[in-house]
Amino acid sequence: MTDRIERTLRLRAGVADAWQALTDPEMLREWLADEVELELRPGGDARFRSGEEVRDGWVEEVSAPYRLAFWWARGGAPASRVEITLTELDEGSTQLRVVETRPLELIDLVGIPLPGQGGASYGPALLAAA
Amino acid sequence: MSEDRAGVVFGALADPTRRQLLIALAAGPAATATQLAAELPISRQAVLKHLAALSEAGLLERERTGREVRYRVTPEPMSDAVSWIAEVGGQWDRRLASLARTLGPESSAQRGEMPR
Repeated sequence: MTDRIERTLRLRAGVADAWQALTDPEMLREWLADEVELELRPGGDARFRSGEEVRDGWVEEVSAPYRLAFWWARGGAPASRVEITLTELDEGSTQLRVVETRPLELIDLVGIPLPGQGGASYGPALLAAA
Repeated sequence: MSEDRAGVVFGALADPTRRQLLIALAAGPAATATQLAAELPISRQAVLKHLAALSEAGLLERERTGREVRYRVTPEPMSDAVSWIAEVGGQWDRRLASLARTLGPESSAQRGEMPR
C-alpha cells in the first residue's frame, strides 16, 4: 500500500521548454528548491536544498522530454518517489503530471551508502538488480 | 477505514485551504475559528465553513469551553497518511504555482489524492 498525491497542470510552454524547466539547474531553482543538483542518468545522485531543509536521493528514469523520475528523502524521513510526466497538448501547450508516492512496504534504501561506491546508495543498486 | 470514510476524508483534503487549516492545527494547540482566521488570508466565515467540512470528515474534534469552540486534529492511525498527503500536496501546489509563473500563466490545474 502506498500514500499518493497527484497534481496536473497545463503549462503554456512547448514540451522542450517544459523539459528544460525540469532538468536545467538554473530553472529548477525557480520552482523546485533553492539549490538542485540532479545527475541526469538512472542511478545518478540528486540533492535538493531549500533553506535549512536538505533532501538527498537518486534518479530513477530520464526519458527526455517526457518523463523524469527520482527518489528523495529528508534526513531520517522515509523516501518517496516523484514521477513527472509531460504530454504535448498542442503547439505551445504541455500537460505536466506529477505523482509523489511513499511506498510504505519498502525498506528505506535511500541514503544508506554502498561500501566503496562514493555517493551511491542501495537504491539504484537494487533497481539495477531488479 | 471503510472505502466510504476514506472517500470523505480525501474529499475534505482536496481543497488547498482545508489542507492549510489542517496543517496549522496539526502544528499548534487547539485553536478557535477567530484565531485561525487571523493566521490565514480568509474570513472567519470561510474558516468556519472549512472547519465544518473537516469535522464532518472526522479529521477535527470540537471542544467547547463556555462560549468558545476550539478545534484540534483528531488523533487516529490515519493521521500520519493524512498529514503526509496534506503536507506533500501543499508543497506541490506551491512548487507548481512557481513553475507556472516561470513558464507562463497556468490555465488549469487538477488535484487528486489516494489513500494508502
